[in-house]
Amino acid sequence: MIPVQDFLVLGALLFALGVAGFIYRRNALIVLMSVELMLNAANLTLLAFARARQDVRFHVFAFMVIAIAAAEAAVGLAIVVGIFRNRHSVNLDELTLMKH
Amino acid sequence: MSADRIIFWAFAIIFVLGGSLFTITRRNAVSAVMSLVATFFALAVVYVCLSAHFLAALQVLVYAGAIMTLFVFVVMVLNRDEMDPWARRGLLSRVLGIGLSSGGLVGLSFYLLDWKPEVTLGDLPGEWGGVASVGEVLFSDYLFPFEAISLLLLIAVIAAVVVARTPRQMQQLGLEESPPTAAEPSDAGSHP
Repeated sequence: MIPVQDFLVLGALLFALGVAGFIYRRNALIVLMSVELMLNAANLTLLAFARARQDVRFHVFAFMVIAIAAAEAAVGLAIVVGIFRNRHSVNLDELTLMKH
Repeated sequence: MSADRIIFWAFAIIFVLGGSLFTITRRNAVSAVMSLVATFFALAVVYVCLSAHFLAALQVLVYAGAIMTLFVFVVMVLNRDEMDPWARRGLLSRVLGIGLSSGGLVGLSFYLLDWKPEVTLGDLPGEWGGVASVGEVLFSDYLFPFEAISLLLLIAVIAAVVVARTPRQMQQLGLEESPPTAAEPSDAGSHP
């Protein structure tokens, strides 16, 4: 039997990879994908605790997280398309309009 | 370490962690999306290991199906390889960031591997985590959050359409009065 700690460690590693991609990439699309990775790590942790506590309410919460992730992806990708249409670039280091 | 743990970690390292590592390191956005799809499928398998069958099906349908299709379409619209994909940062902040995050991660992992939870992974009824058991809770105790989340998704879809529109398309829909000449971006040539 796989202990529940293994799932938690896997979730932590996945979250760390998402954070690394979020910080170190400049392409806005890859940054959005890293956010999806972090949301999936949170979901994995929720489901691991659901299995440990044998409580199905955690599954409902993970369901909500998936719905929020879908909404976030739709709005985020629309914003990326809008930025690309106006500035012909999705490089985050070049988006300094609100910096001054 | 038992055999099923070895199989689990081999699968997790190769597919989940390897797929996500590919996602954040590929220069080509199509490769990144495809490895993200592989990661989501592997995560669905991990969910089945946690006997969350309904969430595993949702993972494949919503993430690997819907969200990834959205990403693929956006990549198709604006696909161009980057010359220098990594963010500009100083050596000090880079060393500090990597050191702090990996140090915290290793500490957390050691703590978790030593942690002895009070709960035990006993036998579950066969239908636990399936559509029936999740749906029973979802549509009784959590009916209002479920309806609220459907409203949120509707608002998100409308917002996505409004944000990603062109002024010409909005005028065709009768939602905007500005002439079509305003569709040309004024600062198209001024970006660095």
